[in-house]
Amino acid sequence: MRLECNNLNFTYPDSKVAVINNLSFLMEKPGFKALFGPSGAGKTSLAKMIANPGFRADGRIITENIDTILYSYNLERLPGWSSAGKHLNKVTSPEKQPLKERLIEIFELNDVLNSRYSQLSMGQQNRMNLIRYLLQDFNLLILDESLANVDEKLRETIILAIKELFSNKMFLYISHNLMEVSKFCSQILVFGKPSGNKGCFMTQGQDCKKGYDLDKEKLDITMLEIMNAF
Amino acid sequence: MLFRRIYQFLLVYIITIVFLFMIKILLSLSDYVIPGVPLMIETTGQVFKEYFFDVMNTMSITILGQCLSIIMAFTVGIAGRKSSWIGSFIKVTAYNIQAYPIVALAPIIFILLGDGFIPRLLIASMICYFPLLLSVLGIMATPVKDIEHFYIVTGRMRWQLEVKIRAFENLSKLTTVISGSATLAMAGTIVGEFIAANAGIGYSIRIALYQSDLAKIIVALFMIGIIISIYQGILETMGEQIKTRWSISKKGEVL
Repeated sequence: MRLECNNLNFTYPDSKVAVINNLSFLMEKPGFKALFGPSGAGKTSLAKMIANPGFRADGRIITENIDTILYSYNLERLPGWSSAGKHLNKVTSPEKQPLKERLIEIFELNDVLNSRYSQLSMGQQNRMNLIRYLLQDFNLLILDESLANVDEKLRETIILAIKELFSNKMFLYISHNLMEVSKFCSQILVFGKPSGNKGCFMTQGQDCKKGYDLDKEKLDITMLEIMNAF
Repeated sequence: MLFRRIYQFLLVYIITIVFLFMIKILLSLSDYVIPGVPLMIETTGQVFKEYFFDVMNTMSITILGQCLSIIMAFTVGIAGRKSSWIGSFIKVTAYNIQAYPIVALAPIIFILLGDGFIPRLLIASMICYFPLLLSVLGIMATPVKDIEHFYIVTGRMRWQLEVKIRAFENLSKLTTVISGSATLAMAGTIVGEFIAANAGIGYSIRIALYQSDLAKIIVALFMIGIIISIYQGILETMGEQIKTRWSISKKGEVL
């Protein structure tokens, strides 16, 4: 499994400043990878370029053993005419029903399945949205702040469960939580400040898995390295 | 909703009548120009029953014409929602045709089809069709990206689902436009009857106009106003019920 970007450039039509400037990186093997950086640095634009082949940008995006790429983001909504549980059932194939039950339990959504999407809290909405993506066929799933508004403890449980249940899939996690990406992601593409000297660079995260034993010193080094980019 | 509509109409009607009487008193106008209260009461007694059935006749054409235009507007609006050439063609055509005063075509319709049911129905539906079509086109052509994204990227999007999502998200707009179009359909029917029909309240107003009988016209206006208020009130109540059944209030308690 391989995701490679070579000399990517992108400027929005109504802007003179390039959002992505000569970006190259390589992400290999399944697992959690991260895009980290300040708002407006180009994380979402890059994610959309990767997910949508029709997105007009200069440069090349090469994928290997990645046939289906899905992009999910935290502002998505489910239709409001029936309960969230019914919507989930409709988009789940029969063979994935047991997985759905398990995910609902891990994501702590059992009590709200009969509620309409608009009645859920923002954290519940984001978890519900993420579940339906996880129940689809994909090789690479981009999570653009998909766990925003979820409390830290549950977020950790969810990330560890996803890593365990979908060990053969690649995830591109966009988050503003430095500790989280440093702890759980194997590769982190750091978007430096556009005005800064460092630009974009790739660094290694701690890639913690279920029952992990955290090496705090290594985690500090990773976090420091990322912080120095700003 | 229904009673509010009736109150609003009665308020406007009474203010207008009071205003007419003030003009009559201030300018010392005769009963021939603006009838007095006794003549108005007498005329009401004479024509109330006849005008009631005339308004009901007009109303039946209005409802039929409105239903026809709703069906046409949704059919064309759904077909024209895409950004394909056919969608663009429908949008451009609709925008251009609606800029023309459709009522001006009424004489042609009467010349070609004569008096009767069909020309009245055609004029009623044509007059409320284009405003409805523009609203439906606007709603159906605007993607609800936050909801549609998932269905598009997972290949689950069908045209029926797309229409359902967009209609659901714009339910308030749609019900408002549909209830508002009732007035247009009624106006269209009455205008058609003014021009050349042989039945309906517009036809009766035309006769009263030839007789210069303002009392009859005022009674007719009252009948039209009260019936259309009831009809719009019913439409709005139905819209509210559809909204309540299909969705639940977004003001609902957050779990």
